[in-house]
Amino acid sequence: MEAHYPTRPVDREKAEHDLALNIKKATSPDETAPKQKHVRKCIVYTWDYRTSDSIWNGLKVAPILADEIQTFKALITVHKVIRGGHPVTLKEAQNQINWLDSCARSVTGDGSRGYGTLIRVYVDFLKAKLAYHRHHPEFNGNFDYEEYISLKNVDDPNEGYETISELMNLQDQIDQFQKLIFVHFRPSSSNECRIAALVPLVEESYGIYKFLTSMLRAMHKRTDAIDALTLLRTRYNAQHYGLIKFYYECSNLKYLTSLINVPK
Amino acid sequence: MSKYVVKATARTIKNYTKGYSDIQAKVRSATSNDPWGPSGTLMNEIAKATYNHNEFIEIMEMIDKRLNDHGKNWRHVFKALTLLDYCLHGGSEQVVSYAKKNLYVVKTLTEFQYIDEEGKDQGANVRQKAKEITNLLQDEERLKQERRNRD
Ligand SMILES: CCCCC/C=C/C/C=C/C/C=C\C/C=C\CCCC(=O)O[C@H](COC(=O)CCCCCCCCCCCCCCCCC)COP(=O)(O)O[C@@H]1[C@H](O)[C@H](O)[C@@H](OP(=O)(O)O)[C@H](OP(=O)(O)O)[C@H]1O
Ligand SMILES: CCCCC/C=C/C/C=C/C/C=C\C/C=C\CCCC(=O)O[C@H](COC(=O)CCCCCCCCCCCCCCCCC)COP(=O)(O)O[C@@H]1[C@H](O)[C@H](O)[C@@H](OP(=O)(O)O)[C@H](OP(=O)(O)O)[C@H]1O
Repeated sequence: MEAHYPTRPVDREKAEHDLALNIKKATSPDETAPKQKHVRKCIVYTWDYRTSDSIWNGLKVAPILADEIQTFKALITVHKVIRGGHPVTLKEAQNQINWLDSCARSVTGDGSRGYGTLIRVYVDFLKAKLAYHRHHPEFNGNFDYEEYISLKNVDDPNEGYETISELMNLQDQIDQFQKLIFVHFRPSSSNECRIAALVPLVEESYGIYKFLTSMLRAMHKRTDAIDALTLLRTRYNAQHYGLIKFYYECSNLKYLTSLINVPK
Repeated sequence: MSKYVVKATARTIKNYTKGYSDIQAKVRSATSNDPWGPSGTLMNEIAKATYNHNEFIEIMEMIDKRLNDHGKNWRHVFKALTLLDYCLHGGSEQVVSYAKKNLYVVKTLTEFQYIDEEGKDQGANVRQKAKEITNLLQDEERLKQERRNRD
């Protein structure tokens, strides 16, 4: 593939050096959120150079898997980079399933710091997300509704049905994961590191919700067999109330509300 | 006050030692750490200069640098967004296409955060401004309209 030259005034050598440093800082052993500025540098890198290879390399050379907190922070970072990065990032992430699996294997039980289960469930979710994008390449990593051009899949009722119901599966998985995060809060801790994982989940679930709403609407306009959609409608309603509850609980987390607008 | 005179002097020295052009020095002054905002006159002058291709490049280079500065220099980031917004309205068409091509630089600032020594989050203004510009750049019609209203 031809190398991409950014229009911004950047220097590749310096960028590679800074990237390695930013990955290291984003996945430091402190039990805090990965700092957004470090994650941002990774995201900007993928747009500048249209590759994420160096990010995966950076994650693999660092001794991240020996420490639960570092592993968890690495997963948050990966999630955010897949969401915000250049579309090539999402494609390249498809080749990193082994690395994700090795994260899941790196810790037994709940781990000494209480991140074991969260890590395994996060890996399951990321793998499901990657699989969804593999089957439905028309969605970008952050399910950005504004950037979506046409709901072409809904033209074909069968395909539309499948697209929606698989997206609902993903939404259910987010819901289970977010509940598990709340269950794992520790009263003695600020829980910042765990809350940090909720940030992309709020954004992701809201993006998915907006798609589901408009795709379902379009299906209802088109299909004669409204009855066939009953199951989807029931699930949609259940998810709707699940989200209201999720967002309500998030609205009580100061760290989170100071950073993003939680939908109501 | 004298503190800011010292800082302005330091800036002048730096402009000189780093070999920044006149227009870049103006961008630096419009996006400095001084706790007051840039004047409309200065921003207007910079916006007009974007119609000159060489100056356009120099301006964008400096804005880009400011946008990617450390959290400690959050005022650089905020004022660079303010100036970019101004130039998107009153500057050349090149500013628009450059900003669209590099949308991710602004978009990724919507989660900008900087907690200062007193524990205050200075990022809110940056996040808000970054959101506004991101939305504007994704709304072709509105941007055209707003640019037209400027003339
Ligand atoms: C007798 C009278 C003498 C009068 C001299 C007069 C002088 C008149 C004076 C003039 C000023 C001349 C030079 C001043 C140089 C630095 C001034 C320090 C400014 C200062 O506050 O710096 C501290 C850092 O401090 C150090 O790291 C520590 C740095 C230590 C620096 C020590 C400087 C020592 C100066 C030595 C002078 C040496 C003198 C030797 C004298 C010998 C005599 C015999 C940072 O403070 P900051 O974060 O608040 O400042 C930021 C920061 O510097 C940013 O990097 C800068 O952005 P960029 O320019 O984009 O990088 C921001 O600029 P904007 O205002 O445009 O937003 C600054 O606002
Ligand atoms: C007659 C008398 C004369 C007297 C004179 C004296 C004179 C004396 C003067 C003295 C000034 C002395 C000391 C100045 C000391 C410190 C100033 C430096 C402050 C300092 O810590 O600067 C470092 C950089 O350091 C260098 O690049 C390297 C900086 C190296 C500085 C070395 C200075 C060396 C100076 C040597 C001088 C030597 C001179 C010697 C001379 C002698 C002769 C006789 C940067 O600090 P920073 O605070 O700007 O940047 C941070 C930093 O990058 C963090 O890593 C970053 O966070 P992460 O992203 O999380 O990592 C922060 O980001 P956020 O704000 O977004 O959170 C940044 O904001």
